[in-house]
Amino acid sequence: MSDAESPSSFDPTAQSFEPVSVFPDAEDMDLRPGADNCYKCTACDTSCPVAEVDDEFPGPKFQGPEQWRLKRKSDEAVDDSIMSCSNCMRCDNACPSSVPLSQMHNTARAEYVDEEMDKLSREYLRNRTLANYRTLASVGSKVPRLTNFVMGNSIVQKINEKILGITAEREFPDFATETFRQWWNKRGGPKVRSEEKRVAYFHGCYSNYNTPEVGKGMVRVFESFGYEVVVPKQGCSGTPMFANGMLADAKREAGITVDNFSGLIDEGYDVIASCTSCSMSLKQEYPELFSMDGIEDLSIHTYEAMEYLRIHEDLEGAIADASVEEQAFAYHAPCHARNQGLDRQAVELFRDLDGVVIEDVGDSCSGISGTYGWKEEKYETSMKIGEEMFGHMEHSTGNVGMTECPTCSMQMEHGTGYDIKHPLQLLEEALVE
Amino acid sequence: MTDAPHVLVIGGGSTGCGIARDLAMRGLEVTLVEKGNLTHGTTGRMHGLLHSGGRYAVSDQASAKECIEENRVLREIASHCVEMTGGLFVQRPEDPDEYFEEKLEGCRECGIPAEVLSPEEAREMEPYLAKDIKRAIKVPDGAIDPFRLCVANAASAQEHGARIETHAEVIDVLVEDGAVVGVEIKHDTGPGKRVHREPGSTEKIHADHVVSATGAWAGKIGDMAGVDVEVRPSKGVMTIMNTRQVDTVVNRCRPKGDADIVVPHETTCILGTTDIEVDDPDDYPEEEWEVDMMIDTLSELVPMLANARTIRSFWGVRPLYEPPGTGTTDPTNITRDFFLLDHEDRDGLSGMTSIVGGKFTTYRMMGEKISDHVCEKFDIDAECRTADEPLPGSHDFSILRDYMDEFGLRSPIGRRSVERLGSRAEEVLKTGEPNPVVCECEAVTRAEIQDAIDQSGSDLNAVRIRTRASMGNCQGAFCCHRMAHELYPTYDEPVAYEAFDELFQERWKGERHALWGEQLSQAMLKYSLHSTTMNADHDAVRTGSAIDFSKFDSGQTTAVAGTAGTETAATDGGLPPANGGDQ
Repeated sequence: MSDAESPSSFDPTAQSFEPVSVFPDAEDMDLRPGADNCYKCTACDTSCPVAEVDDEFPGPKFQGPEQWRLKRKSDEAVDDSIMSCSNCMRCDNACPSSVPLSQMHNTARAEYVDEEMDKLSREYLRNRTLANYRTLASVGSKVPRLTNFVMGNSIVQKINEKILGITAEREFPDFATETFRQWWNKRGGPKVRSEEKRVAYFHGCYSNYNTPEVGKGMVRVFESFGYEVVVPKQGCSGTPMFANGMLADAKREAGITVDNFSGLIDEGYDVIASCTSCSMSLKQEYPELFSMDGIEDLSIHTYEAMEYLRIHEDLEGAIADASVEEQAFAYHAPCHARNQGLDRQAVELFRDLDGVVIEDVGDSCSGISGTYGWKEEKYETSMKIGEEMFGHMEHSTGNVGMTECPTCSMQMEHGTGYDIKHPLQLLEEALVE
Repeated sequence: MTDAPHVLVIGGGSTGCGIARDLAMRGLEVTLVEKGNLTHGTTGRMHGLLHSGGRYAVSDQASAKECIEENRVLREIASHCVEMTGGLFVQRPEDPDEYFEEKLEGCRECGIPAEVLSPEEAREMEPYLAKDIKRAIKVPDGAIDPFRLCVANAASAQEHGARIETHAEVIDVLVEDGAVVGVEIKHDTGPGKRVHREPGSTEKIHADHVVSATGAWAGKIGDMAGVDVEVRPSKGVMTIMNTRQVDTVVNRCRPKGDADIVVPHETTCILGTTDIEVDDPDDYPEEEWEVDMMIDTLSELVPMLANARTIRSFWGVRPLYEPPGTGTTDPTNITRDFFLLDHEDRDGLSGMTSIVGGKFTTYRMMGEKISDHVCEKFDIDAECRTADEPLPGSHDFSILRDYMDEFGLRSPIGRRSVERLGSRAEEVLKTGEPNPVVCECEAVTRAEIQDAIDQSGSDLNAVRIRTRASMGNCQGAFCCHRMAHELYPTYDEPVAYEAFDELFQERWKGERHALWGEQLSQAMLKYSLHSTTMNADHDAVRTGSAIDFSKFDSGQTTAVAGTAGTETAATDGGLPPANGGDQ
């Protein structure tokens, strides 16, 4: 079942790449109601972390409804500033009038990349490479120690920066010596079988290749509550592809995921994710951007892992009875978790856990936004956005960070030097002996 | 030029401006007077259709032929005012087949390129057409900006020596010995560019000939001269949608009826219209049912209109005319042709000609005929050049588009600006100064606003029609005050305030007809922004009363919460009304 054996064929330099028409039918993708909903109040602009630190960035209102309305069907180009949007999606939450801002940004960005970006430019190749992290990871993790050695080499990092435009300031995350899926296969799949309580796990790329301990923890916690967990074949969630305007790539990956999860949903499985950007993508971006059989169903049945347990189990009760060794956390809620209404759940839950001190480090964005902060020209913006969070982390009691998002955790570690944990790891520590 | 006869043109609409330009280009001395801004009358209250002639191809072929001819001329001489969208006559299943055939045949007879499209082809062009349409005829309709066109004609006339006086209402037509010798006008704020708060004055202007191009108001001017001009003003409503549901002009292909056209116009679509005769072009009811009926009926063609956001509605009056004794009862049957009334032949009153009837698309041709007529009177043999000489802004600017980056504007903003300014873009936009966006909805920058202020004084409505600033979805909520600010320091604060008020009132006139759904939210946001940040609902400075500071919460004065100064405060922080509040 391992998908690591069959990485999707991808060659960023291939000449054969043709920007496909991602929106076959204009009616499917109509954003007129979105433009109609905007009454220009600017709440989105005031919530935008990029606009806050970059005076040149015109903000989400311009990128979304304003540009959409000013642009003509045929001849007008999308402004290049769309590439400075980090796709944090905070504007979606800020809007009092339900303007589908991130959807508008995603489509504008895709149009810009399709029509205006030189497919042989360094920026395009870099973005396509970053967006297709999964492909890189599937190759790199075949020889994890070598890859980690090479990528950790400062000369290689300099070359990356010079040639690809990937910042040398950041340390590449290490690949795990054993991926989650390898572990899962070795383990022989599910340990619990159930007709009533069954979930299909969308692990995403990062907990597969880089932090399998998160996935393992998730499995053990769910099994401890009596759930049958299955791990179907899956593609990338598409998050890095949306953020880089690579909708055709995202659609290909979404197709793999939808194909493999749809049947399970019919059999009574709900879909859970441990990464909040993955769950965000399946819940919101998939049905907004693609029309495929089963994509709506997948959206409706997708949950973030802890969200799912809070709904279906007495997680508060279990936590109240548990205790762990004394530890203190500085918790950062990822923007994408915030958009799903999940920004307070870790703090609300773990503050009742014996032995734990947990503080919310505030509602600012971490600034890395997936691949954004990896780009050489965006690094500085990314760190400026992150400053507020770094400061709050340093002032909090905890000296270990906590967050659900893999790249937020990279940024937290990069800015403070703290170790960072995923809430599921603490949940495992508390509930699984 | 001192020997050239002096012609006074009344009316700053498309016809008047077209005549003024034509005569000025032929070397005559021209003065144009207009009671409001340019386009104040009917020109500023139309749907902006550049007719292919298709609409008249069955009922009025003479007009249809003129339309297609002028359509081709305007694409050349007014390229920066025209968007060649193309047009469709769409037949629904319930619309008669015979009429469709007649329409097609009519177009061919009149030399209007016409092509039949299957419903699939039509929906490929316009995906939001109703799924059950039967077929369509494709014709070269277009969209034209009447404001820009009128302003460009007036600017060209000025370049050729004409004097243009706006906000100069004719209060009397001067008649001496059975001949019109001029007019008396009332300047709203003194001659020249309008500046608010400058005292008005009256002026008698003598002329060798007076041309009344006052459309629906021709009867009123006629009365002043003592002649009867029986115009039959007919009102029609138009509703502006927030976005473009269609990018092609969409006409309903049926004999006649209300609510049968959607014109894509700049960022918006304009729905039209009704046709109801009125007594007085200045005073007629603007009725909500007209708007409702129009949206309902046009939704049969483009279903998504039913739930789309409208930003305002406005009414215009057609200057219909028919020779005395014709006796048509239904205004939709009155001819759209124009009539040149030589009052010397007709009424024995020399020195004056009226032009009535007609339509916007053929304004230039009307101007040419009137100018020929006037020149004939003075035995002047001068060629008309208005069909060949591009209007200011419409000189070739294709190269300019490639250099848009030089203006340092974001993509859609630069493009919109260059489309509006045409060949004037470089002189207007390259100021070397910071050039922020003033109107976000329509992408109008400071440089463009300043250029318009240079042309028209402190009149922000004149700035509006030149730039489209405040015409977008927020209807000026975020830019009226910024526009007013641009008047300073050329004009001082009281002038800016008055100009602001006037623009604001004008915006409200149309907004109030669209107060439901999103536009109601928009209007409420506009109201709260302006009342809370500018105290626009009750400004003591402007109303002359002193500010009663005791009405404000004095705030916490001691370390102990809830003591002095707060005990009588209402929940909003002010004192309750009984204690002197102003609610």
